[in-house]
Amino acid sequence: MPKAHTLADAKREQRRAYWTLVLPGFLVYISVMAFPTIFSIFLSLSDYSGGKLFGGKPVHLVGFKWYQNLFADEYFYLALKNNMWIVLVSVFGQIPLGFFLAYVLYRGIVKFADFFQTMIYLPTVISTVVIGILWKSFFAPYGAFPELVRLFNPQYEYGISNHPMLPVLFVILWMYTGMYLIIFIANLQKIDSAVIEAARIDGATEGQTLRYIILPALSGVLVTTAILAISGSLKSFDLIFVMTAGGPANRTSVLSIYMFDKAFKGAPRYPLANAISTVMVIISFVLIGLTKWAESKFGGRE
Amino acid sequence: MRDVKDTRSTRAKINLGLTYAVMIFFTVMAIYPLLWLAMNSFKTTTEFQLNKLGIPRDWVLVNYKDAWVRGKFPILILNSIIYTGITTVATLIFSFMAGFAFAKIPNKATKYIHGSFVIGLLLTLQSIMVPLFLIINWVGLYNSRLGVLIPYIGIAMPMGIYLGTEYIKAIPTALVESARIDGATYMKIFISIIVPMAAPVGVTVAILTVTGTWNEFMLINILTSSDALKSLPVGVQKFAGALSSDFGKQFAALMIGLIPMLLFYMFFRKEITKGVAAGAVKG
Repeated sequence: MPKAHTLADAKREQRRAYWTLVLPGFLVYISVMAFPTIFSIFLSLSDYSGGKLFGGKPVHLVGFKWYQNLFADEYFYLALKNNMWIVLVSVFGQIPLGFFLAYVLYRGIVKFADFFQTMIYLPTVISTVVIGILWKSFFAPYGAFPELVRLFNPQYEYGISNHPMLPVLFVILWMYTGMYLIIFIANLQKIDSAVIEAARIDGATEGQTLRYIILPALSGVLVTTAILAISGSLKSFDLIFVMTAGGPANRTSVLSIYMFDKAFKGAPRYPLANAISTVMVIISFVLIGLTKWAESKFGGRE
Repeated sequence: MRDVKDTRSTRAKINLGLTYAVMIFFTVMAIYPLLWLAMNSFKTTTEFQLNKLGIPRDWVLVNYKDAWVRGKFPILILNSIIYTGITTVATLIFSFMAGFAFAKIPNKATKYIHGSFVIGLLLTLQSIMVPLFLIINWVGLYNSRLGVLIPYIGIAMPMGIYLGTEYIKAIPTALVESARIDGATYMKIFISIIVPMAAPVGVTVAILTVTGTWNEFMLINILTSSDALKSLPVGVQKFAGALSSDFGKQFAALMIGLIPMLLFYMFFRKEITKGVAAGAVKG
């Protein structure tokens, strides 16, 4: 058999094998993620008002009309503001707290590290739906929270809160701090412990070790967690949907709830809903870009 | 000299005590609400109204019995197992297959196809929710198991592909090449070399897919309408969320929603924490 022939055969088999292996997953991915993303942008620029997608009422492109509607709606800004609160609590609450807890456990300052870690991470694994209803009942007028407060302040009367976002932010902090604890512990364990021991022997204090050895080694992880926190915050839906559904009077609404209401509550306004989701994607990319930029500008002391 | 040392060690002791106090505080904060829920699920509603914080005087199981039957939990749990099981197995197979091709079979398309999966890591469910709903309706899969499963698999793919490809890249190429010279087909290499060697990352991908799919709530809510197709979280929300005054049953329903993941966590604690840490490197 001539060599060129087998080589061509082998090449052909290689190509066939490649596509057989790649295509099943890729087709599923294209149809449920890549295509809908592009389709969403198209819808946000159209006048599609429900009904049959093809062969129904003809759909026209209407430019940025829905985006203008969106930017003129005060509820959009209310939802955006609440999203930003969640971003702040995540980046400046969950991450420092998660890091602190991870650091204490990693340095072996307390015993039973395994026990603490297991318990603090526990809320993260439970369904958001269960968490949401649980806390809703806990904070409700009939729940445990007013009762607990009365243990300390017998005069306490349950009233409608002026800051309905506070319980939501608290639960978000409660639920996800454990995730950052785990991420930081895993990455702290990658640091060569000999370096830390050497620094300690040379007389560095705990604080100096943290400042000059541990934090620089973790700068990449800090950026990654910040990105996780930002994109996670913009995604938050389930918990708020179950806990408050955006109420009272949309005061705990976030962008995803705002979008859900436009698409699935009352008369569907799909183009507007898609404009919201497109704006959400843009915001999240901008924030992630900013984080990466801040890292290259101020970080990188490794 | 002696005094200095003494004050130092006292200070260290106080610091250590404070650190313990802080750790215990956070631990109590983390589990108290769950213990509160568990305790109250054993109280009758009448007792709950009188005794909201304490231990139940009579431990009753009637809440669980009522919730189990009236909330139709057996079918919901079965559905959740079906969705989670099929999604996890399909995600594992597809991402190992594609990961093998990306890592070990040279092809110009890899850059683009693998790149598109990586972008998928940054996409959110929200950005595809409405179009997905319209597309699923259009192809006639609304309110069907398949119409839930296909999106679930697609959503789990980017993470599976990313972790799978990275791991398979680290398997020595010489193994694949020598098997090729011995005349093995790519399919045979995949099954006899790649799958066994990539098993550890398979555990990570499986853990991430199981937790993500089991707890998923939004998509299944909009893609199905009949109760017989809903999953456990949706059922819990429908049943417990609708009970605003029958606390005993509400809490029992929440416990039924909580226990499966709690068991999963107890059995796979190490793997779960490893998986979370691995999944976080995606930035």
